[in-house]
Amino acid sequence: MASRKKILLKVVILGESSVGKTSLMNQYVNRKFSNQYKATIGADFLTKEVTIDDRTVTMQIWDTAGQERFQSLGVAFYRGADCCVLVFDVTAPSTFKSLDSWRDEFLIQASPRDPENFPFVLLGNKDDLEPRAISAKRAQQWCQNKNNMPYFETSAKSGSNVEQAFLAIAKNALAQQNSTVDLYNEFPDQIKLTNTQKPSGSGDSCSC
Amino acid sequence: MISVFSLSSFSLSMSADEKDYKERLIATVKKEVKQVMEESVTRKFVHEESGSVTSLCGAVENCLSQGLRRRALGLFKTSSTTALLHKIAKHCAEADRISKKVQEIENVDPNRRSSSSSDSVTKPTLKKNLSFPTSPLPRYLWIRLALFDKQLSKIIDYLVSNAPKYYDKDALVADPDYGTILSSLLVGPCALDYSRTKSVEQFWTDPPADELVQRHRISSGHSTPPSVRRPILNFRRSLNTSSEDTFVSRSTTQHLAKDYVESLHQNSRAALLFGKNNVLVMPAKDDVTEPMPGYLSLHQTPSGLTIKWTPNQLMNGFTEESQDKSIYWDYALQVRLDDIVYVHCHQDSEAGGTIILVGQDGVQRPPIRFPKGGHMLAFLSCLETGLLPRGRLDPPLWSQRCGANSTTKRRRPLPALSETEEATKDYVFRIIDNSDHKHLLKRNDLMDIKASLPTKVRVQLCSTSTSSESSSKSLSIDQQIVPDSPPNVCIQAVCDSMKKQIISRAFYGWLAYCRHLSTVRTHLSGLVNSKIIHGENASQGITLEKWQELCVNGVVTDYAEVYRLTYFGGIFHDLRVEIWPYLLGHYKFGSTNEQRKELDEETKQAYENTMSEWLAVEAIVRQRDKEDQAHAIAKLSSESMSGEQVPNEIQRDLSNEVFEDIVTDDEESESEDEKESNQRNKKPRKTKQNTIKYDSDTEDGEKQEPVDQSNEELNNGHSAEKCDVQDNENENIDGTVNNCLDGENLTCELQIHGSIDVEIDNREELKDFIHNVIVTNASVDISNLENECPIRNHLDAVTEENNSSLDTCIETHGLASPARSACVSPASSNGGVYSQELLKTFGLNLHRIEKDVQRCDRNYWYFAGENLDKLRNVMCTYVWEHLDIGYMQGMCDLVAPLLVTFDDESLTYACFCHLMERMIENFPNGNAMDCHFANMRSLIQILDAEMYEQMHAHGDYTHFYFCYRWFLLDFKRELVYPDVFTTWEVIWAAQQVASSHFVLFLALALLETYRDIILSNGMDFTDIIKFFNEMAERHDAAAVLKLARELVLQLQLLIENK
Ligand SMILES: Nc1nc2c(ncn2[C@@H]2O[C@H](COP(=O)(O)OP(=O)(O)OP(=O)(O)O)[C@@H](O)[C@H]2O)c(=O)[nH]1
Ligand SMILES: [Mg+2]
Repeated sequence: MASRKKILLKVVILGESSVGKTSLMNQYVNRKFSNQYKATIGADFLTKEVTIDDRTVTMQIWDTAGQERFQSLGVAFYRGADCCVLVFDVTAPSTFKSLDSWRDEFLIQASPRDPENFPFVLLGNKDDLEPRAISAKRAQQWCQNKNNMPYFETSAKSGSNVEQAFLAIAKNALAQQNSTVDLYNEFPDQIKLTNTQKPSGSGDSCSC
Repeated sequence: MISVFSLSSFSLSMSADEKDYKERLIATVKKEVKQVMEESVTRKFVHEESGSVTSLCGAVENCLSQGLRRRALGLFKTSSTTALLHKIAKHCAEADRISKKVQEIENVDPNRRSSSSSDSVTKPTLKKNLSFPTSPLPRYLWIRLALFDKQLSKIIDYLVSNAPKYYDKDALVADPDYGTILSSLLVGPCALDYSRTKSVEQFWTDPPADELVQRHRISSGHSTPPSVRRPILNFRRSLNTSSEDTFVSRSTTQHLAKDYVESLHQNSRAALLFGKNNVLVMPAKDDVTEPMPGYLSLHQTPSGLTIKWTPNQLMNGFTEESQDKSIYWDYALQVRLDDIVYVHCHQDSEAGGTIILVGQDGVQRPPIRFPKGGHMLAFLSCLETGLLPRGRLDPPLWSQRCGANSTTKRRRPLPALSETEEATKDYVFRIIDNSDHKHLLKRNDLMDIKASLPTKVRVQLCSTSTSSESSSKSLSIDQQIVPDSPPNVCIQAVCDSMKKQIISRAFYGWLAYCRHLSTVRTHLSGLVNSKIIHGENASQGITLEKWQELCVNGVVTDYAEVYRLTYFGGIFHDLRVEIWPYLLGHYKFGSTNEQRKELDEETKQAYENTMSEWLAVEAIVRQRDKEDQAHAIAKLSSESMSGEQVPNEIQRDLSNEVFEDIVTDDEESESEDEKESNQRNKKPRKTKQNTIKYDSDTEDGEKQEPVDQSNEELNNGHSAEKCDVQDNENENIDGTVNNCLDGENLTCELQIHGSIDVEIDNREELKDFIHNVIVTNASVDISNLENECPIRNHLDAVTEENNSSLDTCIETHGLASPARSACVSPASSNGGVYSQELLKTFGLNLHRIEKDVQRCDRNYWYFAGENLDKLRNVMCTYVWEHLDIGYMQGMCDLVAPLLVTFDDESLTYACFCHLMERMIENFPNGNAMDCHFANMRSLIQILDAEMYEQMHAHGDYTHFYFCYRWFLLDFKRELVYPDVFTTWEVIWAAQQVASSHFVLFLALALLETYRDIILSNGMDFTDIIKFFNEMAERHDAAAVLKLARELVLQLQLLIENK
């Protein structure tokens, strides 16, 4: 019996500062909401075991700082992600507007193998708050143009819809892992030349 | 039997899983078969080395090894299907045939026996010849051969029909359905013709034209055999010709040359990381007297990196046919990086630089001289990336990133600390290979070197001296000695000579290592002060009595003692208010009570002035926020109700907070407004259409309401703001909006008359230059509160470029200084002129600050109530004065301990400014963080060699990101408040006493405190991040500080003894 690898799903939560990334992660993993969370500095992660279609997988959920300037750190944490969760605050329009940038930045920095089909999930958080500034319709419209990205409206405070959202995230991450990591093909991908290092070794080309 | 029994006993519970697994195994085979078949159709043939063939073989291997009865077959050691093949060879003719072939190939090179086909690639291969090591055997060798020989499906057929003998009951092969599916799936691929004829488009979709030309030139002209044998080729050739001969014959030499040159390019097995022609090398051959130009390339294969250098004569093809090129094959250089331990770099400002590779045996390879133009650095950085993740360069080339100046960057690829030295310099980098880690032994018997030897040297010493184990490393030495010895030579003599060699090589290795260490030491010497200051009688720190001694009549002169006492023992808490400003550089040592009082007064004044400035702007920002909120909600409802087009203005200023994009529509609409306002400038304005955006959809008469609302809201907030218009004055200075600022903590009495003067000036200018700037004129008049006129923020346009006075007032973001407060600017509390840009930027920062202030240490008593407002004020004042820097997350955390200690906004602000001078470099855009990480690496190497070696088992450690928050916030989040106080003052004092990089030693001390946990659990990057995040605020700060001081001393002593 060949041993089966333990499955680890890496999930990265992104979105503007204060949209509730840390709160969502803690609500999902620890089932509690606290007013004591500080603004995230650097990065942290929590793990949670989930069962999807009879398979137990470990979700490693990464939470990073929301201020755009700290994104340069991202490279170290984005790499190898199986799913990216984008979060905005349904009461703060600017957090919705910046979603495109977060998504693009993630794709650039994580450089997944198949960026077109890399799974993202969108969460509209603080569902419990009034007044709303971004309607579900508008968020869904945005998702439609993005490969039909799944969309959930959550509240880290009340916990509503959090479980469902993360289950979908886990499923997407698992599907992603199955599709790209071919368990049996250990032959490394070809590394393409970068534009600067052409193998132009012929003597008749110039020397620099 | 046992295995069958045990398996079946839980197969019930596992059956669903099992089935799923088998399903997937088969699915993978299916997928790979499809891939191969498609390839054969689209490309008309399939290459033997095609990735899809390898994948297919891998998939088959997985099917065949599942449920294999290793125990019953005596295969439990190998887990190999190759052994199974040999086993069934007796009964199955096809298997026999393949089995023979496998043996043949393995016999070509006995060191490459692939008893376990699947791991042959990862085994280190033995080098017979330094310049041309053999390539590893292909993976899944027998399956491959069987496939090429069209026997695979038959062999599997045999296995399926005899499954009970070799497989567990529930194995895939034993399964009546899956087994047959498997063998029938492979019928197709077994019908294909596999080729190893190279054709250009095989691996590449788009090879560069010059590469094609070169390939062609080389393969068409050459006919001389190269001087080296490449066993791997024999196997291939024998497949094609089914000849038994294993020697290179003339007919294949063309292939060899072609293969060799093609190997210089990107191909399926190797990625080309670097290529540069006209690199000079002096081959170690007698007949060469001058360095020769050639093509230097760096290749990456699954088994490691290879550096190749090929003389230009070979690269240039074979146009000059008369010449015999064979000799040049001898000159070609091929070095596997696995064999290299040190890279000596000689940087030369004249030439491009020289690299000398030093092997683990201490032997140097011929110098490689680069042409000018940063090629050496390019090569080194390619090398560095290529080594990842298994290995890396040490010290890293990190200062590349630290280098601020792009022109000097190139010249300084090396540790930043050496920047102080001359540009021309030798460096020794070590190549660290993590994969050797497991061989590490702690003690070294041959030599007592206190600092540990590099891993590789030790490996070599141990394996050779201890036994005849056929470790590849020891063999490489043995082989060079033994072949020359006649068989009957005295064993003793051989041993002696071996010993000598070992010792001399170890010595060279050690020597190179020492040189390397000295590079590291030089690199580290800048981290600590050279003068060692001792801590006698200082462990109590600054107590009340001590302070009375030090502070004579309010004057403190013995600053050295203040620093020393603080460093070794901290400060009694009640004295911190007094002493911290000294430590942070706000108070000068030697100053008198009066001087300091004066400074306090000035600081306060300046602070309050600055604050009134931004409070005025805040009012506008708040106003706009309300509008935006209203618009967003309006949009939401209009969207949900009718879905009709949202009015243009509503989109206004829904600006992207994070990424700051500019909405062009706004500018257009604003410029229209400007024209209107321009006209209206000439007459008194009571109402202005363009002032407040929400006006646009309401009647004039209703305008007052929203303003009142906003006033209410503002009154609820910390700074109440009451607005109205002073009619009397506005007759001649119309459009003035008067803001009253009435903060809880300060009251700004605003100079109404001053503001009028300034206003008048501005009016003059406004008439002349009109462009895109908001003018808000604020002055105080509480009594006129009931006045009918609402706020009138009117958009008046002033051309900034043409108006230097406005320019300066808008862009006063310099450092706060008491002098600054003296200058009355139109942008001050007296009312002012604010560019859209300024409003936007400040508004953005304001929101960020608020979000973070709200979340700052809510659980600490001091911040339970109103003190958060003080924090906000200090933060906003700093950001207002440093708008170019802006607010960055973490700044609040740095203000908080200061505020808790001083409980005074202006003093906190002044000290925070001083603190930020050092801390700002840690934030994004600064370069301190990268330097910290690199320094950590070097420090650990010097001060805790064991941890250092252990860390390399996990290449990820190199990031050191778990220290990020430590450095960004001076450990503020890692410790509880009382400990933060002590730690901070020690860090500040350390600068004068021991090290201006004390945080590094603190970080190291934290690591060391938990080293046993980290080491024994083999923590990796993620484990350690999690560990320290969970340990936050649970450290024993006193012990950590003590250890950190000890570590500083340790390094000081080490450098002293250099
Ligand atoms: N009402 C409500 N408040 C929430 C909800 N989620 C988060 N919050 C609050 O919003 C604030 C920000 O939440 P965080 O979880 O710290 O936000 P974040 O995205 O992690 O922010 P950064 O770490 O700065 O990137 C906190 O004060 C939370 O208490 C929610 O669902 N409902
Ligand atoms: Mg957070």
